[in-house]
Amino acid sequence: MTPEIAMFCVLGAPVVQALLVMLIPKPPGLRDLIHIGFSLFAASCAVYLVSAVAHGQTGYIVLARPLPNVDLAFEIDPLGAMMTAVLTGLGVLHAVHAAGVARAKQEREPSRMLAFIALAMAGVTAVAFSANLFSLFVAYQALALAAFPLVAHRGDSEARPAARAFLATLLASSVGCFLPAIIWTYAISGTLDFQVGGVLAGRVDALTANVLLVFYVMGIAMAAIPPMHRWLPASSTGPFPALVTIQALAVLPAGGIGVLKVVTFVFGVGMAEAAIAAQALIVLVGVGMIVAALIALSKQDIRERLAYSCMAQSLAVVMGALLSLQPGHFGPAGLFAAALQIIALSCSAATLLMGAGTTAAITGRTKVADYAGLGRVMPWTFAGFAIASASMIGMPPFAGAWAKLWLITAAAGSGLVWAAGLAAGAAILTFAHLGPLAASALAARAPTDAFKRPDGASILLAAPVILAAAATLSLLVSVNSLAEFLAPIWTARAAP
Amino acid sequence: MTPAYLDLARAHAPLLMIVAPLLGAALTLVTGAARVSWVVACVAAGIGAYAAIDFASVVLGGAGQAIAGVGVALFVDGVGSFAAALLASVAAVTILAVGASLKDSGAAVAPLALALVLCIASGWIGALVARDLIAIVAAVETAWLASVGLVMLNAQRGRGALNGALRMLSYGGVGAAFMLLGAGMIARATGSFAIDALPLAHIQAHNLAAAGAALIVLGLAVKGAVAPMHAWAAAAVGRLPTTYVLGIGVLSVLGALSALVRFSAYAIAAPEIGAAISATLAVLGAASVIVGSVQAVGARNLLRLTAYAGASQAGCVLLSIALGSPAGFAAALMQLVAFSAAAMALYGGAAAGRVQSLEMLDGYGQRAPLASAAITLGALSLMGAPLTIGFLGRWRLVEAGVGAGWWWAAALVVVASLAGVFYGGRLIERMYFRRANAAYAGERGVWRIALAPALIVAIATVTIGVAPGFLLRAAAAASLKLTGLAS
Repeated sequence: MTPEIAMFCVLGAPVVQALLVMLIPKPPGLRDLIHIGFSLFAASCAVYLVSAVAHGQTGYIVLARPLPNVDLAFEIDPLGAMMTAVLTGLGVLHAVHAAGVARAKQEREPSRMLAFIALAMAGVTAVAFSANLFSLFVAYQALALAAFPLVAHRGDSEARPAARAFLATLLASSVGCFLPAIIWTYAISGTLDFQVGGVLAGRVDALTANVLLVFYVMGIAMAAIPPMHRWLPASSTGPFPALVTIQALAVLPAGGIGVLKVVTFVFGVGMAEAAIAAQALIVLVGVGMIVAALIALSKQDIRERLAYSCMAQSLAVVMGALLSLQPGHFGPAGLFAAALQIIALSCSAATLLMGAGTTAAITGRTKVADYAGLGRVMPWTFAGFAIASASMIGMPPFAGAWAKLWLITAAAGSGLVWAAGLAAGAAILTFAHLGPLAASALAARAPTDAFKRPDGASILLAAPVILAAAATLSLLVSVNSLAEFLAPIWTARAAP
Repeated sequence: MTPAYLDLARAHAPLLMIVAPLLGAALTLVTGAARVSWVVACVAAGIGAYAAIDFASVVLGGAGQAIAGVGVALFVDGVGSFAAALLASVAAVTILAVGASLKDSGAAVAPLALALVLCIASGWIGALVARDLIAIVAAVETAWLASVGLVMLNAQRGRGALNGALRMLSYGGVGAAFMLLGAGMIARATGSFAIDALPLAHIQAHNLAAAGAALIVLGLAVKGAVAPMHAWAAAAVGRLPTTYVLGIGVLSVLGALSALVRFSAYAIAAPEIGAAISATLAVLGAASVIVGSVQAVGARNLLRLTAYAGASQAGCVLLSIALGSPAGFAAALMQLVAFSAAAMALYGGAAAGRVQSLEMLDGYGQRAPLASAAITLGALSLMGAPLTIGFLGRWRLVEAGVGAGWWWAAALVVVASLAGVFYGGRLIERMYFRRANAAYAGERGVWRIALAPALIVAIATVTIGVAPGFLLRAAAAASLKLTGLAS
């Protein structure tokens, strides 16, 4: 297998998966087998791509040339390969869990839900592998359209306006800010291709660079930067498998990856011309992290609480990416922090949301207050829930700890101690909204009427939660090798 | 023997483009039977489309050729050949789709309806290849009156159609008066009615010529449903849930916009009046984008929504030609293709299920999956979604606008796309995420031939969006031969 073929497989397998799942809705066993099998296949190809990149191989595929000098093209780079491997790997666990939830809750139109989950995974993969701004924009739009049916899945009076808000926010911001920024970049540089070191490096004055940065960051609303974050709480109306896809595996991570790619390949690490806008945006995302964590604290529905909690974590990704634009030697540290944070967010959020989904499927409980003591009757699920909460908070040795450590290092190293303070404050507030919840679930007295389903949680519902929780430990042993793996994306500018 | 006839037909292709539909119209009236007349009309429209496409490929692919004088002198230029091919193709697809609605207005009037559609096509193609301003006005009025007649034929379905026809008649009358007056003023200022004389003439009375050209632009803008002079469009198409709507909402509007692009190419090329015409077009275009977008966002009738979105798209066409550069004209031609494709997909998808109000779209995705797919693709193109022809057209406009320093035009394109997100998203949400309400839940009968053209066009919207090479080359070649063929 060549890297190009593997990339075709990673991008195409979810599309075929979606078609097959829609065409073969029954028997459910075969449908679920297809869903899980294709997810596993895509993850295997993604792992192969990581191996290929580690051995210095490259790959570039062009699907179409819709405009002169502009290709719809995808390329393997360390960032894309790593993110795809993590997300598709978690996607396998999610595929198993989604099949379990669809059966346990007897979701309406399960085939449609699974199909759009697969399409959303294809979308985030395309975002990660995009070779230029046009391809990123196409993948971004496709992902928004693929995720829209997930939010609207229930089709009731609550889901429809939420889905409208979801789509309107994502598409409007991308058309209103992202697209103009792309056009402006094209007008300046004559190319949309990503370049290590930055397409705009040496080509723009400070004013243009600052305005462009604001346009890009606001345009990539999937990263949930205020005030473009309304789609995220709106998505809470979806069924739990949809929430996992949107908040942990596809849409929210795609926002982080998009911002990271733009900062790395369009602006370039340490681009001092954009430092003012970068600092202003760091203030915005820092305050946003604090406010999101506070709002999460006020929410009693677990879906809403986790949505705001994920938003705070996603903003930490953006903060890391923006820190890389500060002058000095800590730019790569910011990028690395952002990359780690995406991995940590995906692992932790997937675990939490799958845990909440399992709980809702077998107990019918979605209120935070009703979680007390559930860990006594669902020990595996809530063990995973507690580990993921610790990772979100930033407790060592879980994934979130390394990401926050690098984030605070980058902020302090760049002379923005207040940014480090904001990140630390958000971590404390995350503890406030997740810590007591996990502790109460594990320590309080077990409820006597916990199970709605007499047979409790099936292995399809419990196993993915605990395995995803175990994934949050992965960074403990792989941080250094990950840094070496990702180094090529910032080396070009940092070396001199 | 046959090759000799083919060579003769090729030599007189512009004439054939006009005459074939006219002969077809006469024959459909003679045949009488609805189905037979439809077959005759399909053949005539097919011949016209083949001639137009073949001629455009010859003209835009290489050097031009001399056109025989045939009484009313013809003069083919880059824009004319490109737009005529597009118009003839749209006419052929329209005729094909109309087959599904033959009995909607009664089998007895079907031949007349088909003849009127062919007359619309013939009239507008005539306006695209005519040399003389008076001949252009005559051709435009032929097409326009045929359009009015087509709307009137549907009056038996309700008073709405009659109201639409009346509005068309009154608005079109104003437009015709503008055009005639403008032609006279230009002739007075330049000493000639010939359109190709405009860029070359030493115009003494600048203001008179500029006013005349502006009046012709306004007259064509009225017929092209450019906002805010588009009130007739919503009234005419809003109560026409049959495939006849394609003849008005697409064919007629496309013809007027094409004629407007062609005339503007000559007017802008005239150094004495070019700036004034460019400013007029820019103001009209900006107004049309804004008004059309706002009205489309607020529309509650799918057919009206499409008409308003078309006005917004027409605004983009006007902005493109206001740039006055070859890049701008190429962008305008791309936008004409994008408009035709999106409008045909939307109107065709709606006509297949007789959809009028947006409520009727609820659950349409389940009741009529293919028609819904056509509407979805059309809506995505109107949004300017990537990999659709709508994106391509807008990108070319933005590229040309930014190149000329017209950032505000680029901003207006973004506004049009943003509005498209809202109204297009609303259509998709209704079709796929709402249950059909009781009144329409049981409606069937949408699996008909009417779907075929809408689907073909919808698929073409994406296909061309992904691989637009030939279309971009044709538009670029047409824009380089704006005011006459290279010898």
